[in-house]
Amino acid sequence: MAANRLMIIGESINDSVPRTHEMLERGDLDSIVALAQQQDRQGADYIDVNIGPRPPELMAELVRRIQQLSQKPLSIDSPDPRIAEAGLRAYDPERAGGQKPLLNSVSPLRTEMFRLWSIQPFRVILLASEKWEGDRCRPCRTAEETYQAARHLVEEARSTGFALSNDDFIIDPGLVPLATDNEGHLGRVLEAIDRIHNDADLTGVHLVVGLSNLTVMLPSKRADGSPVKGPLQDAFLTKAVPSGLDMAVAAAGKKYRPLPADHPAMTCLEDCLRQPGFDAIRRIRQFYAGR
Amino acid sequence: MGDYSELYQAILEGNAKKAKEITEAALAAGADPSELLSRYMIPAMDEVGKRFECQEYFVPELLIAGRAMKTALELLTPRLAASGAKAAGKVIIGTVKGDLHDIGKNLVASMLEGGGFQVTDLGVDVPAEKFVEAVGDQEGIIVAMSALLTTTMVYMREVIKALENAGIRNRVKVMVGGAPITQQFADQIGADGYSDNASGAVTLARRLVGLATAA
Repeated sequence: MAANRLMIIGESINDSVPRTHEMLERGDLDSIVALAQQQDRQGADYIDVNIGPRPPELMAELVRRIQQLSQKPLSIDSPDPRIAEAGLRAYDPERAGGQKPLLNSVSPLRTEMFRLWSIQPFRVILLASEKWEGDRCRPCRTAEETYQAARHLVEEARSTGFALSNDDFIIDPGLVPLATDNEGHLGRVLEAIDRIHNDADLTGVHLVVGLSNLTVMLPSKRADGSPVKGPLQDAFLTKAVPSGLDMAVAAAGKKYRPLPADHPAMTCLEDCLRQPGFDAIRRIRQFYAGR
Repeated sequence: MGDYSELYQAILEGNAKKAKEITEAALAAGADPSELLSRYMIPAMDEVGKRFECQEYFVPELLIAGRAMKTALELLTPRLAASGAKAAGKVIIGTVKGDLHDIGKNLVASMLEGGGFQVTDLGVDVPAEKFVEAVGDQEGIIVAMSALLTTTMVYMREVIKALENAGIRNRVKVMVGGAPITQQFADQIGADGYSDNASGAVTLARRLVGLATAA
């Protein structure tokens, strides 16, 4: 059986990546454009562009310069509507073979960003890890809440009247770092992916996670010197891709390779799912510290 | 008082069950709660912080040690209050308005408690007036703010302004943190301190309330 395809949104151009932060601080756009070209060569399907809290004109300039040298569609990544708008306005679909950009992302607190569609039609990442409750927005605690948050966002996007189809919606259930997941978020995310994928009304929507987020705050090596992060990410994909996950914000070279059920990273993840809470934190620690 | 090094060890290893058992036994044997705290528990959390800073420990160890600490501390709290023992300081903590990220904030709150601070957690999406209200007429306390979004970090300035407008800015120390925050940003908005990790936040809080850092 061939593995399902996983589309990769290349994550390197992000202000929270220390090396990229330095480039942005220096105003070294050449190096940032080179990062885009590198991810293009490594097979990224989209190239994410996140400039942090900087002037919108910088986003516009970067989008133009990257598009001069890469034909990959871009993911315009900012919670700030002005920066997102500048990026979308500068984006030229013709240079990406007619492909729309991706807007990363719209959350329940930022639905006014849908209006940017009239400037430049986009596909959009919908952040389903938060939901309204009365007049307050709060993090989703269960798969059901995450599923409902996804449904509300899709309905709100549809109600704008813009020509957004299911294929334009990319739902992010909000992956939580294993290092801090003492509330069963891993199970919430996997169940939510399954529910969203099996909703007939949502047929054709896509599902995405920020894959690196799963393993932040963990050491890079296990006690025996073998890697920690790659195998845990692979174990997650082995669970999530068959359930409907088809996109990931990740390192551009990342490939989806299912792990066998008896792989140590798989048994670790299965144990975390069986025993959420502090037992899961302890299990992760056991995985890397060997005690 | 007897030797309760096992309590130190249980917290260091993040063994909440053992920490609880030892604390219960110690209290039953008449141990002084404030001495248990200052001789074994806080030093254990300080060691956890040190191991974290030299990358011997990682965030999972902080969490499980913090939980063991909390479990033991809950047994002591009523007795500490009755004996009039004073905390290292008081901290009001929250993630600012418009921002729902709580992982880092919770971790900092847990480490501050482990460092002997009395922590009031206002939660996430906290408006400026909530911070002002929580300070009330208290003196010498710390207001700790977290933000994970570039669009919400600017709200920290609003909170500081609200403290100024309420005439209580000079009664509190303000510390800030979160992924997009930098020392430069902290300086710009007039915060008193910044830390990029939970262990450093304890050192910073001690400095802000004028406590020498444990060597």
